[in-house]
Amino acid sequence: MGISTTYNEQELILALKKRDEQAYKYLYDNYSGALYSIIKQIVDDAELASDVLQEVFINIWRKIESYDARKGRLFTWMLNIARNASIDTLRSKSYQNSQKNQELPDNVYSDTTRHTTQLNVDNIGLKKVLEKLKTEHRVLVELAYFKGFTHEEIAEIEGIPLGTVKTRIRNALLQLREFLQ
Amino acid sequence: MNVKDYIVSGIVESYVLGLASGEERAEFERLCAEYPELAAARDEFEESVEKFALANAVKPPESVKVRFLEAIQNPPSLNQTKTITMEKATTPVRPMRQGGFLRFMAAASVVLLIGCAYFLYRFSEQNAELRSSNQELAARAQKSDSILNKIADEQKVVSDPNVTVVNLVGTQTAPKSSANIYWDSASTNVYLVVKNMPQLPSDKQYQLWALIDGKPKDLGVFDVNKEKFIVKMKNTQKAEAFAITIEQKGGSVSPTLEKMQSLGKLKQSQ
Repeated sequence: MGISTTYNEQELILALKKRDEQAYKYLYDNYSGALYSIIKQIVDDAELASDVLQEVFINIWRKIESYDARKGRLFTWMLNIARNASIDTLRSKSYQNSQKNQELPDNVYSDTTRHTTQLNVDNIGLKKVLEKLKTEHRVLVELAYFKGFTHEEIAEIEGIPLGTVKTRIRNALLQLREFLQ
Repeated sequence: MNVKDYIVSGIVESYVLGLASGEERAEFERLCAEYPELAAARDEFEESVEKFALANAVKPPESVKVRFLEAIQNPPSLNQTKTITMEKATTPVRPMRQGGFLRFMAAASVVLLIGCAYFLYRFSEQNAELRSSNQELAARAQKSDSILNKIADEQKVVSDPNVTVVNLVGTQTAPKSSANIYWDSASTNVYLVVKNMPQLPSDKQYQLWALIDGKPKDLGVFDVNKEKFIVKMKNTQKAEAFAITIEQKGGSVSPTLEKMQSLGKLKQSQ
């Protein structure tokens, strides 16, 4: 971008904690795309995803004091804020109502029509990598990561023991790690 | 603990991606401070997630950036110095009366904003409170469920047709002592239900015996515990009678017969 200031991670965190506007511009320019991508994969609606992204950056600005570098990298912290905000949106009443309204005409046909509307979102980022996993693994990671269900809830939904849910998710994550590298 | 096994267990990925439970998170953070290799494994995975996310970035609409920067330039937590500068900018050459009105409007809007901010804050706080009490309730329900399941299991033993009930009655040394044995001949499981047994000093325990061909076989020790309605003892395939003695804590190899508390014979031997 126009301003050529660059920061290393410590400098950036320091500037962010001082509420330095330049630092927030830098943060936005460098990370908004990565966060927007993950938000879009969860809320599945470009316009809503933009709202969530804005909310996420404002939350980063508001909560930067609570970021603790000993617990992990700044991006990990931001990614978790983005994921949580997306899942909150997914669970909000207004979102669920809007989904219901959209789905009504589709239900006249078969379930496959719903799959085709989701396809374009399935093809980006992490979801694309997920396709490489075995179905039994993929479904669980999707429920846990993209829908925000707890392991207990997943055990109930899928009708499998909690222990199995835990080991399958752990194994799936270990495989994902290989794919990410 | 073995850190290497812990590192490859998937916990690192689970933690970084926000899928670990509160308990797992706390443990992970504690261990990270203790084992540098664990922190290094976390860093490494975090970097690959970041790299991957950056490589798969999707450009958001320009309007989001504009709205975000506007929002942080005019943060909702307005303080007094800011209202004064705002007022100066709008009123320097206006006549007094209008200035008064504008000043009133400015003050009113600040009050309104602060009010809104306060309510928003209260709402989010209440929301968090409700969420945590909800979780608490769910945990309690789960606990009740598991207690209920246990009771149901115990009930099953009592009503199973394969189960033989042996009534143990008190001996001369302890005429009031009594207990029931539920012996499942199919699975050879032995369950004990204490009906009336006095509490023992802490260095003593009751021990259950099965008598087979006149010889005692140890079926385990037990305490009189009011919370436990039914106690599972060691299995036995055969038994002509059951007996309970008082032994040193941990049990004995052979029964102290003079301390026999109660005895019950089977009507038909298996």
